[in-house]
Amino acid sequence: MNVPFIGEVPSDIVVSWIFVSLIGVLLLWWLTKKEQWPTIWEYARTTDNRKIGTMYILFAFLFFIRGGMDAMFIRSQLAVPESEFWVFQSQKYNEVFTTHGTVMIFFVAMPLLIGLMNIAVPLQLGANDLAFPYLNAISFWLFVSGAVIFNMAFFFNAAPNAGWTAYAPLSSDTFTTGPNNNYYIFGLQISGMGTILTAINMIVTIIRLRAPGMKLTRMPLFPWATLVTSFLIIIAFPVLTVALLLLTFDRLYGTSFFLGELGSPIYYQHLFWIFGHPEVYILILPAFGIFSDIISTFSRKRIYGYRSMVIAIALIGLLGFMVWAHHMFTVGLGALANSVFAITTMLIAVPTGIKVFNWLFTMRKGVVRIKTPMLFSLGFIPTFVLGGVTGVMLAVAAADYQYHDSYFVVAHFHYTMIGGTILGAFAGIYYYYPKMTGKVLDETLGRWHFWLFIIGFHLTFMPQHFAGLNGMPRRVYTYSWDDGLFLLNFVSTIGAFVMGASMLFVVWNLYKTHRYGEKVGKDPWDGRTLEWSVDSPAPEHPFDPVPQVNSRDAFWYAKISEESLPAAENPRPSPIPVQTIQPVVLAGILGVMSIGFIYQWVWMQVIGGVGVLSFFILRSLTDERKKAYRKEEES
Amino acid sequence: MKQTSEILFQDKRLGFFLYLVVEALMFATLFATYILFTPASVGADPSEVYELRTVVLTSVFLLSSSGTLMIAEKGLKTWDRKKIWIGLGTTFLLGSIFMGLEIHEFYKYVHEGYTITMNNFLSSFYVLVGLHASHVAFGLGWMILLMGQFKQKLPRSLFIEKHKIFNYYWHFVDVIWVLIILIVYVPYLF
Repeated sequence: MNVPFIGEVPSDIVVSWIFVSLIGVLLLWWLTKKEQWPTIWEYARTTDNRKIGTMYILFAFLFFIRGGMDAMFIRSQLAVPESEFWVFQSQKYNEVFTTHGTVMIFFVAMPLLIGLMNIAVPLQLGANDLAFPYLNAISFWLFVSGAVIFNMAFFFNAAPNAGWTAYAPLSSDTFTTGPNNNYYIFGLQISGMGTILTAINMIVTIIRLRAPGMKLTRMPLFPWATLVTSFLIIIAFPVLTVALLLLTFDRLYGTSFFLGELGSPIYYQHLFWIFGHPEVYILILPAFGIFSDIISTFSRKRIYGYRSMVIAIALIGLLGFMVWAHHMFTVGLGALANSVFAITTMLIAVPTGIKVFNWLFTMRKGVVRIKTPMLFSLGFIPTFVLGGVTGVMLAVAAADYQYHDSYFVVAHFHYTMIGGTILGAFAGIYYYYPKMTGKVLDETLGRWHFWLFIIGFHLTFMPQHFAGLNGMPRRVYTYSWDDGLFLLNFVSTIGAFVMGASMLFVVWNLYKTHRYGEKVGKDPWDGRTLEWSVDSPAPEHPFDPVPQVNSRDAFWYAKISEESLPAAENPRPSPIPVQTIQPVVLAGILGVMSIGFIYQWVWMQVIGGVGVLSFFILRSLTDERKKAYRKEEES
Repeated sequence: MKQTSEILFQDKRLGFFLYLVVEALMFATLFATYILFTPASVGADPSEVYELRTVVLTSVFLLSSSGTLMIAEKGLKTWDRKKIWIGLGTTFLLGSIFMGLEIHEFYKYVHEGYTITMNNFLSSFYVLVGLHASHVAFGLGWMILLMGQFKQKLPRSLFIEKHKIFNYYWHFVDVIWVLIILIVYVPYLF
């Protein structure tokens, strides 16, 4: 499409600009009309864990729409053989599957889970906030900054196009010129920094801020999963940071770490998967934690085999670091390496199996109430088991030569990522919605959402197993009539649109609940853990007085004996909250600096760099602890 | 009962140690990169690039700065303002000399034609040692800020907190330098 003054621009980008501008104007008008600007200003300056968690989920939902639309384009292009849907062929198709994968993993799955952690984990521990409220706001705005940088790329006709793994040498400037993959690098670096800081915050909170009597062994399973996940993050993400740093040098400064005669493309693959495989456990473990708590609540029973659940989480986390080369079976690492990694991969099925049986045993003889969060948990178990079974199939190194880079792999990881992470996030959102907003989401619409989503999901991805086994490679934008893949792909496309439709029920549900929903009390689900002992929505500084915890599920047993939780005698001081716009400013400066690097405008890099360094000084001089410490000194 | 500032400091210390773990893993990955690509099959060999004199000089200045910082640490314990000034001041001075020598070293290498694009040995050398040097530079800026805050008379417990966190950082940067000597320089100097 020819745009005046700009030149040739693909029509999807033109449509997106128009669409987004319209939405933007409408949004501004609506915010002004409803006088919502003070609320926005309040949220931009907050360091409260509930508000930050809610914003994480809100932004993740926005990016979910973007990633979902990418998926619709992919499925539309693949619906029939030899099709030419809109512009999504060859390079455009590369862009659309790259952004789909990257957005869904880094800007949807991660923030959904981190958002839920923010909301639930401090409350479940009896803590009044995360250990470092200010740092938490920084983490959140770094995520937003990274996500905005990444999503900007598309609007400037420079969407990354080397797959979500950005394998070198394809991702080096020799083979993908232009700023495209620079956007990928800087988007991930900035948001990755935010993730690392969140992990640190979570670990310190869990280790040091638990209510008196809340021993580690009395914690609910979601904080346990969060703890292990956070350790995985602080070990895995630095490796990604360095891999991307080296890639940056290859792209911008002429080195050849990963390409040419001197470089080693395999080294990039190692680095990427040393990060990338733990990353998938980073995505699944919190979901496991959420399911454990939900299944226990809605079965009115203690979780079955608590200790084995904790050990299983830890084992999965540990084994998660010993399996990365199973992504590289066909690279030619040799029979010994392949065998070792095949065995460690299969071993992961053992702790995962333990967890599945424990969930089933938790429900056994329980008083099971099937509300929406429980429905998602029930949908998760068989779906995830299917994903696990195909995982073990893929772990057979010899057989993997057949499966590798085929739709069988695509089907496998969607069964684990959607069947595990996304169902877990949905379950968590329905479950914790009262703690975020004070209202329970509508049950009927929730059920519509669940059934359409799960049916659509299996329709989409079940056929992809067979398409893969019949030889359909992933990341290819077309196939011929002779391939015999038409029916499988067509069903898959129908399923994708059913899934897309189910999300409309979420939007409807949000609207309906917001408009007509009634406020609920502290404990709408008859819960077992401390978060249900505070108001809905959770106030800032929720635990006053801080409760004394004397057993696992202490709140539940207090309810049974019709007592309230005893107040702790000497609780530790709470972290110091603050209202500040600084995190937004930092996110902005880092955004400017990244654009400088993406387009290699040195003056902009310098401005951004000076800005970041000045920010450190500003931050140190405006430390919110100053007031609190001075007061202590005077007393 | 413990004071608020003490407990919040312990939170911060744990958080900062975890952050140093993150940093350590980044350096570990870069060390691995260096080991993997050194020596390179073409271009300069490390033994012709490195000079014993520079390595010894830089090391003397940086490693002794960890010692002088301990004077300040002692001063913090007894709140001896003079010791803190002396400790911070000499550490800053030694760190700056190290920084100067480091810049000179890079400048000289580049002048001799050993640029970052020559081969992967030099690429990984510059990225690894450069990242360390930028940590030292950041630490120097941090010290200036700290001295400013010392003058400004923060609440004592807050200044001690900030100073201690900086000490962890500086010692960490020194430990990384020891590893650089052992892994980057020594195998090719002797």
